[in-house]
Amino acid sequence: MTNLGKQLALLVGGGVDFIVIGGMAAAAHGSARATLDLDVVYSRAPSNIERLATLLAPHKPYLRGAPPGLPFKFDPETIRHGLNFTLVTDLGDFDFLGEVVGGGTYAELLTHTIEIDAFGVRCRYVDLATLITLKRAAGRPKDFEAIAELEILLSKTEKR
Amino acid sequence: MSDDWVDPVIEAYKKDVDVTLLIEQLRRTPEERMRRIEDLQHAMLELAKAGRRTK
Repeated sequence: MTNLGKQLALLVGGGVDFIVIGGMAAAAHGSARATLDLDVVYSRAPSNIERLATLLAPHKPYLRGAPPGLPFKFDPETIRHGLNFTLVTDLGDFDFLGEVVGGGTYAELLTHTIEIDAFGVRCRYVDLATLITLKRAAGRPKDFEAIAELEILLSKTEKR
Repeated sequence: MSDDWVDPVIEAYKKDVDVTLLIEQLRRTPEERMRRIEDLQHAMLELAKAGRRTK
């Protein structure tokens, strides 16, 4: 589940460098398909990692789907040693990706984003053409329907 | 693979996309679109809960 208003406000308010990708980016572009989490690519710069860990700490981040009681801490050291994290928090579910197949890192994706104002904050979302590239690169059969929908959306928005 | 390559699998899926839903979504602002997806999440959760209660 997501609580997008609070999740985005937290990241933007805390100065985290991130790009919205995945199902919520698809929704922002016009997709009608449901998604249950907020996927973001975050900058791996040390200062950004510090900000991310500090901001998330009060919201009880824990590995989604993992058994309770694991000694997991979403702290700077854990983030530096890992890359992609699927988390549940008291604000909603987050996927924090240090890199994404077909798109690379935050810095590499940055030129393929647009800024959108929503929920009282302005932040970066991957553009529609790149979102399709990411879905194609992931190569997951579950994405076939989503790619078909996104390609139709792209053709409709290009005609505008 | 060239940019204009057409994937026949994706083309087959396009036949089943409800374009009327997309047209409706495109009339909304990005925030309204995302709010609708969140509303859908809540509806799905409620249905799942109701399903569990009836078992």
